[in-house]
Amino acid sequence: MSVIAPRFKFSEFVKSIIENAFWIVVIMTLVGLPMAMIVLFYVDLPVIDGALVTPFLALTWLSHPELALPLLKSFLTSDAFRILAFPGFGFAALVAAGTIFVERKMLAKLQLRVGPFYCGKIEGILQLAGDGLKLISKEIIIPAKADKPLFIVAPLLFVGAAAAFVALIPVAPGWVVADVDVGLLAVFAVIGFFPIITVLSAWSANSKFPFIGGIRALYQMVSFEIPLILSCLGVVLLTGTLNLTEIAQSQQVIPWIVLMPIGAIVFFICMLAELERIPFDLPEAESEIVAGWLTEFSGMMYGLVQLGSYVKLYAFSALFVVLFLGGWSGPVFWPPLEQELLESGQTLGPIKLQLPGLPLFSQEFFSAVIWFVLKTAAVIFFVLLPRGVFPRIRIDMLLRIGWYKLIAMAFVNIFVALGLVYAGVVGPGGIF
Amino acid sequence: MVGEAASAYSPILLMFGFAVAATAPALLISRLVAPRGRDTPVKYLPMECGQVPKGEGRTHFMMQYYAYILMFVVFDVVAIFLYAWGSALLELPREATLPIIAFLGIMFAAMAFALRQSGRRDIW
Repeated sequence: MSVIAPRFKFSEFVKSIIENAFWIVVIMTLVGLPMAMIVLFYVDLPVIDGALVTPFLALTWLSHPELALPLLKSFLTSDAFRILAFPGFGFAALVAAGTIFVERKMLAKLQLRVGPFYCGKIEGILQLAGDGLKLISKEIIIPAKADKPLFIVAPLLFVGAAAAFVALIPVAPGWVVADVDVGLLAVFAVIGFFPIITVLSAWSANSKFPFIGGIRALYQMVSFEIPLILSCLGVVLLTGTLNLTEIAQSQQVIPWIVLMPIGAIVFFICMLAELERIPFDLPEAESEIVAGWLTEFSGMMYGLVQLGSYVKLYAFSALFVVLFLGGWSGPVFWPPLEQELLESGQTLGPIKLQLPGLPLFSQEFFSAVIWFVLKTAAVIFFVLLPRGVFPRIRIDMLLRIGWYKLIAMAFVNIFVALGLVYAGVVGPGGIF
Repeated sequence: MVGEAASAYSPILLMFGFAVAATAPALLISRLVAPRGRDTPVKYLPMECGQVPKGEGRTHFMMQYYAYILMFVVFDVVAIFLYAWGSALLELPREATLPIIAFLGIMFAAMAFALRQSGRRDIW
């Protein structure tokens, strides 16, 4: 346990503060300002109302509410906002954090454990913060014989690959980080990186348990990739496109899970296997091989791998929603903004607030996002549920499920889709 | 042309880079904040449940899974090829489906044969 430094001198405290301030000023001047200049040289500055928004102009506008609003609007439509915040990393990390919290509480309730209830007064609401604080304050120990650069980079690569997966998922009409024509194939390409990263980290640890876990992870991800790819083919047959936004928009009338339940089941099971969740958590089987390929990760490195795996969980659930549950389609229930409020503004006593250019988002947008998040939360719930219910399966059962049953079911699903097209149910001139 | 096609994919790379850049400070902060205990050689040994580690960490590990990896290499490519047909199905004439059905039959038969062979432990 740490104690306050035994010889505390106020003069030395002040001296340390001044020293730190000095170095901050020096580094900012010598490194920070040139870096800002270089970055500004390459950034495309937006043009708003016919004026090029230089940093000076932007700072001036920020002090006027009615001038700041167009600036805000142009930022909300920029790529930077999409990558940083909304359909991108910020949103995914938020959902991942929520998933971790919900999972801990749900498992505690399922297994009648009361631990996660006590941290924080209301329903253990500080549990997540406690977990994060614990992970960040633990010492990172890297095994002596490990390949250090690879070992340190592997968790970062895992988070990065999960984020690249999130980049392809559309959340609302037009709200996607990368709107790629062959979105579904790009998703498969990104999924293909996870076994590589897993084996890389397992190999670099130079220890036996991570090695066994990494090989298991490789084989498991590989054997469930073919049924995963084949189960999505049915959706592509019915929609005739690989773009995920168009696939989601094609389900305005009926979600594909109604017409192709077999494909949805196959996809869901493959999803569990790709995510290494129970009952397919053989790569991390804690009763057999300590923690599988995560054995040698300690402290924040383990935390980063966990963050990456939950971001991946969100991305897979969102992909399930886009492919089978109709994406963001659903009735618009967000109330329209009051015209009076928009035109004449709000008066609060002496202050009158009127901002032209509102609303920032349409009511369809809010409705779409709420539907999407609700559906994704439902899918995440069904991904979490088996962890409290099922035991782990054996590796030969895993093989049998992956290579025999799921592939056969995926083939059946392809023929179901073909039958739907040629019976005139779906497609040009069809019912849907 | 190529640049335009590639620029559609650049947000994916940017997202990857941003995620790495945003989470790397966590490791640095952890390094700064976390207390560093006494260094002993035992601390940096690989984890083997309290036993003294024996032998190499990277051993030849027989999983008897080689047949499935071979099957993956073949059928993953075949499954991706089906997407070229699948995304154009609605525009194609009906007769064009027959060769694909034949192709699926060949693929399914080949897969069944490969699975049967990979189940034979005596030849692997």
